Amino acid sequence: MSTLRRIVVVILITAAGAVVGAAASLNFASGSLGAATTATPRCTTAGLSVLQNLTAGTVASVTVGALPAACGGATLQVTVNNGVTNSSGSAAVPGGGGSVTVTLAVAQAVTAAEQTDLVLVGP
Amino acid sequence: MSRQLLRALTAAAGILLGVGVVTGSAANLSLTSQNFTPYRTCTITATPATTTAVSDTTARQGTPTTNFGALTTLTVSSGNAVNQRVYLRFDLTVCSPAIPASAIVRLATLRLYMSAVPAACRTLNLFPVTAAWVETTLTWNNQPFGTTLNNPPTGSRTGTFNVGTPVGCQNQAAGYVAGGTVTADIANFVAGTATNFGWMIRDDTEGSATTRTATFTAKELGTVAQEPQLVITYVRVP
Repeated sequence: MSTLRRIVVVILITAAGAVVGAAASLNFASGSLGAATTATPRCTTAGLSVLQNLTAGTVASVTVGALPAACGGATLQVTVNNGVTNSSGSAAVPGGGGSVTVTLAVAQAVTAAEQTDLVLVGP
Repeated sequence: MSRQLLRALTAAAGILLGVGVVTGSAANLSLTSQNFTPYRTCTITATPATTTAVSDTTARQGTPTTNFGALTTLTVSSGNAVNQRVYLRFDLTVCSPAIPASAIVRLATLRLYMSAVPAACRTLNLFPVTAAWVETTLTWNNQPFGTTLNNPPTGSRTGTFNVGTPVGCQNQAAGYVAGGTVTADIANFVAGTATNFGWMIRDDTEGSATTRTATFTAKELGTVAQEPQLVITYVRVP
């Protein structure tokens, strides 16, 4: 066998090994993810007060209160959806908890019902 | 080294390289644990003034057959034959997406804008209404709780707050009042264990010798920053 032929064979065998390996990896990962569940840790399960701050008939910011100290340092992400459009903002929760005001990127018109999603990431 | 041995070694090297790729992929799929606390809030605001999502009216003992659903104010009064009660209802079905029956209600707050404050500190009680009523027809005489004063009894209230100018009173000045927590009622409405007929608000002690009145903004005023609001914070159960 010529040297060139040998090199080609080596490359093919290597590639075949890589493909088989990747497939095995995917199967393993899938089985692992489906086999168990785990609780996502949360800094609070208490009731948080949510207050819309209005400017000229629009929700300009949202103040979230009653945050416990355990949430200090977390990032609070807020999204307000008034049924027509939505806007988001985020802010850091003070170290001792308390309240935090999140300014929305775009003020939202007040409608009969707004949905506000709150997510605390961290600490 | 023979050619056969060389080929075998080459093949083995290829397989090992593939295994190397496998190991690398598995490592990349590992998950990073992170604290994550999701809440959802539905805020119902009595806007515009003609909205049917919120019903509000006042029942007046002094004019027992007249409906006051079109007034721009809501009044709670204690006095000699001039007691007044507020009836208020928020339609939870306007929340979009709908609050699932399995949701856990963490906090529900009734927000009323007080425009006139009584000179004495008065305790106001919230009672979930147990029968249907209509904003445009309710009067003192046909109100669901009847005309007997101080009925239902204070012990059956599900929420309370106090208002008045004296120092120490919970809400001493005009503005949105604090303390109107109705979490348990909303949890029952959402779960379907009670029907949402709203609330009646009355003075804790009706029939006082000196008339004491707290005045709140009704939806008919049309001022967004003063409209009645219900704020419900909940989490969804997967």
